[in-house]
Amino acid sequence: MQGSRPLVRVVRLGLVSYQEGLRLQQVYVDRHRSGPAHSLLLCEHPPVYTTGIRHQPYPASRLDPLRLLGAEVHRANRGGLITFHGPGQLVCYPVLDLSGFRKVCRAVCTAACAGSVTRVLSPPPQSVRWYVAQLEKTVVSACGSLGVTATTSPHTGVWVGDNKICAMGIHCGRYVTSHGLALNCNTDLSWFSHIVPCGIEGKGVTSLSRELRRDVSVHEATPHLLAAFGEHFHCELSEDA
Amino acid sequence: MAAYALLRSMSSSFSSVLPLLSRSGSLSPAPLAVKTLFRRTLASSSRFSAALKFTDKHEWVRVEDDGIGTVGISNFAQEALGDVVYCGLPEVGTQLAQQDEFGALESVKAASELYSPLTGEVVEVNSLLADKPGLVNKSCYKDGWLMKMTIAKPAELDSLMDEAAYERYIRSIED
Repeated sequence: MQGSRPLVRVVRLGLVSYQEGLRLQQVYVDRHRSGPAHSLLLCEHPPVYTTGIRHQPYPASRLDPLRLLGAEVHRANRGGLITFHGPGQLVCYPVLDLSGFRKVCRAVCTAACAGSVTRVLSPPPQSVRWYVAQLEKTVVSACGSLGVTATTSPHTGVWVGDNKICAMGIHCGRYVTSHGLALNCNTDLSWFSHIVPCGIEGKGVTSLSRELRRDVSVHEATPHLLAAFGEHFHCELSEDA
Repeated sequence: MAAYALLRSMSSSFSSVLPLLSRSGSLSPAPLAVKTLFRRTLASSSRFSAALKFTDKHEWVRVEDDGIGTVGISNFAQEALGDVVYCGLPEVGTQLAQQDEFGALESVKAASELYSPLTGEVVEVNSLLADKPGLVNKSCYKDGWLMKMTIAKPAELDSLMDEAAYERYIRSIED
């Protein structure tokens, strides 16, 4: 039975191909047709480069060489430019119906701006703008609880200085979200040297392991991310036995 | 539809983007308090007005004098998206059924789907948006229009919300 907080089901997929990840996201998106079915898919992918809905910067001639590196290449219907997913990177796909978080948004915005004029500048309820901002805060909190001070910037994503520690790119249709975020735990960052990550020149990438100078696995980072998600989305997380 | 001016008192979110247009001298003045004037279609055979109709997914459609529908997103939608950096729009000639996905707008690394308000064929897309996607934010009812389409089933317009109903709808979302 659901209280006032939305219920989000955590689904641990393990190591799955990007294609399988897309297929499973669609399964969970489709479940929303018959009522609230918020889910949080967690996985890792074998090496893969993905692009978003902006095709023009990435003709086949630019993507084909990446396949020679031993990675797959996929176009996705998400926002954001090119990025890399691979082992050691915690990939999280929240499949939420944003209209079910309307009250959460109002509570968050009210608490943050108690009575001040900034209330009117808050993102509208159930908006992608609000959703992406909450995802960023989730990752910043998760990094913080692991001892890494991360920040946001005008470029969507989460940063440690000029280096991106977590990429984001989402899709939203009929208020249902898919795609999500990718947090570098102990990813081999050399894969990123073959692209301009997210199309942003002059910036680098980093990982939790690099920042903490010790090995931080996806397994270690996951509970921190889940706790932060529950906090910032004011939701109950449930796991299948 | 009456061939008189459709004079409406509009909320500030509309009046800031819609142009003030003068009335034709051939019509008797209607004693209504107005903030904004809409252009009228004087063709008495036309069933359509130039008023906006809205979907529950925040697209609008305006029927032009030539019976073509101009489609865009509402002020509420452009605020919800944030700064639009890319408009993924359909090819001219694409056939759309009402509620078909016809493209996506990207903002804050989010690709948000667009849904066709009507059944018809895409006859034009706004080429300005390729270089200036921000027009969708700055001028969502005018220069930031997304596409134009034929109206294969005019009765579908009746299933859409008029401005007053849409304003009530967004107030119910915000409350």
